[in-house]
Amino acid sequence: MDQRNNRLGWLFTSPYLIYSLVFFFIPLFWTLFLSVTDWNMIKPTFNFKGMSNFADALQSPSVHAAFWNTYRFMLIFVPLVTVLAIGVAVLVHGLTRFKGLFLIGFFLPYLSSGVVSALIVKGLLSYTSPVNTALRSIGIDIDWLGTPFTALFIVGLILAWKFTGYYALIITSGLESIDKEVYEAAAIDGVKDNQRFWRITLPLLYPSLYTTLILAFGVTFGIFTEVYQLTGGGPGNATNTWQMEIFKQAFSNLQSGYASAVALLASVATFISIFIIRKLLEVWGKRNGWV
Amino acid sequence: MKKRNSALSVVALSAVLLSACSTGQGTATNDNGNTGGSNAGGVTTIEFWAAPNPTQQAYWSEMAKAYEATNDKVKINVSAIKESPTSEASIQAAIAAKSAPTISENINRGFAAQLSDSQALVPLDTIAGFSDVIAARDMTKTIEPWKFADGHQYVLPIYSNAMLFGWRLDTLKELGYNEPPKTYSEVLEVTKKLKAKYGDKKYLWAKADLADPTAWKRWFDFYMLYDAASGGNKFIEGSSFTGDQKAGESVLTFVDSLRKEKGILARQSTDPFENGVGIFTDVGPWTFSTWAQKYPNLKYNENYTLSMPPVPDGVDPAQSKTFADTKGLVIYASATKAQQEAAVGFIKWVYSDAANDVKWFKDTNLPPARDDLSTNEAFKPILDASPQLKPYAENVPNAVPPMDNAKYNDLQTIIGTEAFNKVVKGEIAPAEGWAAMQAALEKALK
Repeated sequence: MDQRNNRLGWLFTSPYLIYSLVFFFIPLFWTLFLSVTDWNMIKPTFNFKGMSNFADALQSPSVHAAFWNTYRFMLIFVPLVTVLAIGVAVLVHGLTRFKGLFLIGFFLPYLSSGVVSALIVKGLLSYTSPVNTALRSIGIDIDWLGTPFTALFIVGLILAWKFTGYYALIITSGLESIDKEVYEAAAIDGVKDNQRFWRITLPLLYPSLYTTLILAFGVTFGIFTEVYQLTGGGPGNATNTWQMEIFKQAFSNLQSGYASAVALLASVATFISIFIIRKLLEVWGKRNGWV
Repeated sequence: MKKRNSALSVVALSAVLLSACSTGQGTATNDNGNTGGSNAGGVTTIEFWAAPNPTQQAYWSEMAKAYEATNDKVKINVSAIKESPTSEASIQAAIAAKSAPTISENINRGFAAQLSDSQALVPLDTIAGFSDVIAARDMTKTIEPWKFADGHQYVLPIYSNAMLFGWRLDTLKELGYNEPPKTYSEVLEVTKKLKAKYGDKKYLWAKADLADPTAWKRWFDFYMLYDAASGGNKFIEGSSFTGDQKAGESVLTFVDSLRKEKGILARQSTDPFENGVGIFTDVGPWTFSTWAQKYPNLKYNENYTLSMPPVPDGVDPAQSKTFADTKGLVIYASATKAQQEAAVGFIKWVYSDAANDVKWFKDTNLPPARDDLSTNEAFKPILDASPQLKPYAENVPNAVPPMDNAKYNDLQTIIGTEAFNKVVKGEIAPAEGWAAMQAALEKALK
């Protein structure tokens, strides 16, 4: 019986194990192997380089830029998307009709192509676009994609537009799960209307917020399409990201070994950052008595 | 049981990893040191990867069929190079997976340098019959600058776009000129008049790419001007920096002067030349089919014209050179000897008849890389029907192909980040920019 259960256990877990092996472990070991070689996958031979790919990457200005830009995007994108998602969720939650329709409407940008949205924004920010022509007529002339801060901000804004609906869905489900009796009891206890959100809604939303925040922080480590289409990582390296750097090194420069080292460094930076952020969010929740 | 399962898993994983790490040594090889071989029943099968666009794919499919009809010992499978994520990466993946084609087109000299550096290409001049192709096609002069630093030819250029600058003739006429300026001081004079008349409504050179460090973008600004100023100096030869300092600094000074005159708009703008925001830009012959659909009002020698790049004062404009946007055919080292020879036989058949180049020119608008393009009567009807292609045909021998260095991406990025982009933005003086660029290039070349 035990042996049969054992076999069944292996059978049922095999899809996950095979999936992990093919799409996680083999690529991971392959990347580890490449990262210590100078192989470009074309040469018939290669040399082991030890840690020199990592050392080169750690000294590269474009890798430094990718590292710091991730946190710059974080500072712009995460607060923006969180506030917008909460706002949308609260507004939609208060509706008595067409709630689903509005949520689907806000969710649609998430399904849209990053390439298309980037190209639309590129057109909107063109020097000759109506927006810029109008701004110039009142003496405001901004090089949106050619100035480091505005370029970062525009990319952050597109991402926020894209992810707001998705996160609003998660937060709406959190709002829906708050029992109305809690608000009634609070009203009896003297909680005023303007205190309801901060004292009741927000604490009870903590699990949903925790999820959306972790997802939002994670997004900033995977930015590629919008930057590739809009700025190519520029001006200078002002919007360069980990994914851009890996793409450039692997597919333009064909430096598979070096690109693998950058990819591993990106993984380590992502893992450590998300771990710290997760801990900080838990401390925040505990300190306020929300968990 | 647990131990046995764990051990089996470790063995299986190791086997997969080891097979993935294999570089192919120890596998069955043929006489050329390659696996496989497509020689069944006396018929040699070759795989031909065409550029990822329907016109070129159709052209090569037609050529392959016609050749098969004349030679039943060769079968040619034509398919398009996949672009996932880039055509270069697809070729890299195919070589790594040992599924590279016999021959492919759409290869620029820089990528060919990466491939030849990795011993993935056959030096074409070592294959029997290759010199016959050059002679039959009348391309001895055109192919000369394609020779790599090791003395071999790895690419057979198919087409060569001698990149020209387009000028808005309508605006030039408004400013009192009937033809484009040819020297730097003449261009600056036009810029001053343009700004005096139009202020911030028009710029001489409106192009966001001028401030973008992406490597290939330098082909269409810096290199065009540099080739003209230096008489086609190689800039980087093999692994040495051989740039002409005087010519380079004069190019950067020219760009800096344009900036100071507010003649440059290095910002995103929708089709600035076509919409008249800029009056000067690089134009390749592939542009004309787009214009015919999107901007049918643009007519050659009516509201726009074409010229070779301007030159520094004191340099003869008639001697101007330019960048060659050119791509060609390569044969992969992984192919068997029989496949390599069959591939050369096919190329020889295609290029021994000028009618095939005429068809190419007609179908693609891309000027065949031949010395006689502007003199051979076979091409006359095309050039008469599309006079805007004439200056491209005339300047094929004046066009300099890209560098043959495997690090060309890094090197060309340096040109932008250290000098050109900074000068465009006014962040560095031309001479300082040139010195910083030279130092960074020499470091990268080591």
